[in-house]
Amino acid sequence: MEMTVLIGLDAASYILTLLLVCIGLVIIFGMMNVVNLAHGEFFLLGAYTVVLLQQYALPFAVILLIAFVVVALVGLVIEELVIRRIYHRFLDTILATWGISLALKQLVIVLFGPGSQQAVAPFAEPVAMFGITYSSYRLFVMGMAILITAATFFILFRTRVGLTARGVIANRQMAACLGVNTRRVDRLTFAFGSGLAGLAGAIMAPLMSVDPQMGVGFLVPAFLSVLVGGTASPLGALWGAGIIGGSNSVVAAIWTPVVAQIAVFSIAIVVIRLWPGGVTGKRKR
Amino acid sequence: MLQVRDLQAGYIRGAPVLRGLDLDLVRGDCIALMGRNGMGKTTFVKALMGVLPQISGSIRFLDQEIAALPPYRISNAGIAYVPQGREIFPDFTVEQNLAMGRIGKRKQRNEPVDFVYDYFPVLAERRKQLGGTMSGGQQQQLAIARALVGRPDLLLLDEPSEGIQPSIVQEIAAILRRIVEQEKMTVLVVEQNLDLVRRLADHVRFIENGRIQSGVAVEEINRNPAMIGRYLSV
Repeated sequence: MEMTVLIGLDAASYILTLLLVCIGLVIIFGMMNVVNLAHGEFFLLGAYTVVLLQQYALPFAVILLIAFVVVALVGLVIEELVIRRIYHRFLDTILATWGISLALKQLVIVLFGPGSQQAVAPFAEPVAMFGITYSSYRLFVMGMAILITAATFFILFRTRVGLTARGVIANRQMAACLGVNTRRVDRLTFAFGSGLAGLAGAIMAPLMSVDPQMGVGFLVPAFLSVLVGGTASPLGALWGAGIIGGSNSVVAAIWTPVVAQIAVFSIAIVVIRLWPGGVTGKRKR
Repeated sequence: MLQVRDLQAGYIRGAPVLRGLDLDLVRGDCIALMGRNGMGKTTFVKALMGVLPQISGSIRFLDQEIAALPPYRISNAGIAYVPQGREIFPDFTVEQNLAMGRIGKRKQRNEPVDFVYDYFPVLAERRKQLGGTMSGGQQQQLAIARALVGRPDLLLLDEPSEGIQPSIVQEIAAILRRIVEQEKMTVLVVEQNLDLVRRLADHVRFIENGRIQSGVAVEEINRNPAMIGRYLSV
């Protein structure tokens, strides 16, 4: 019984963590069609922001907010310098963002060194529940993932800003002809997606070893989640993270992490083969 | 209100579709632009809207030079565009489509849109319906309503009758005529459908080889069918 609860909680934790990393990618890759290989480095920058700011004894909530803003600003600069020139060149986005990814990673190594650093969790007391004890910070991460996902969907589907962004993505030229400054919307949307990646990195920092390679581990499952879930709707990420994260952690708990990796990739291949547009993509075309 | 002088515009450098086009519109004009396929009708409205890659010459609108402006500035200057093929947002509801018509405009952003429901009652019944699930005629009405909520001074319509059954074309023409009169709107409509032109426009201009060749009052067309043959038949 305890074993089941533990596996269930671990699976939920992994799914929600994945969702947290995915949600920025849903916007940049799913909606804006930019294959952003620098997403892992945005995550990384968020984590390093925490390491840096914890030296100044700021409240953790403030640090999270600053991490979001810092990485959003980095995204804004990158959008203006590089991404805006390649929106219509899907394949080139891979090359360009890979370059950005390498540059950001090297920048972090130059500034902080290649070694790993430690971010401190603001609270760490284990919580007893359902006959087991579980890390309170992990529960906090899960709560934040739900909160951030809900907030993002609220912004996208219930606010004027979200409607504008979806309108520009659906038909850029028509939106412009209706008076929408599409460049401004592109900039803000990309910066928002980047900021979410940074926020995810900041929230995850206390659970991980903060080193220049930390972003890579989440990049592949995050992209898989978006692909499996489908890019037709941002809601696809919920499915994708559920399928990828769920199968990975359950299989890893029962067999080994290696088998889990094989299982995850097999499932992803089968899903994408059967539904090329992802689980939510059937409706379109 | 609109003075176009020596407008050259097209899609590829060195191959202009419009070759020195001149046109004047006075406030309250309701003008139909007619001509055979490939003569530059759609290119002209796109040039006015600022979406063409190659453009030179002068377009003055309400004492402002707009030929070099990006589309969103032209829209905010007071020109609204109902494109060929309607280009409504298929995944948005009627309400959301209408919201897109004023979302980029500071002045109109918070004003009510209910007045367009008076002109288009069919939209009022379908506020929550997705645009993509409506019929062609309803989508056309939505595209016109979406242009109106931005409270433009000049309305550009590109082939509003395309792909719509004749009875609905007549209905749309009647609604547009009411809008022209009640909103004091200036309208430039590109159209091949004589029925709609007769019901809507006051004047007709004929475009040939990228230039405006001549213009007549709409009654003249009824009296002189040979004119239609000269500019419209292949």
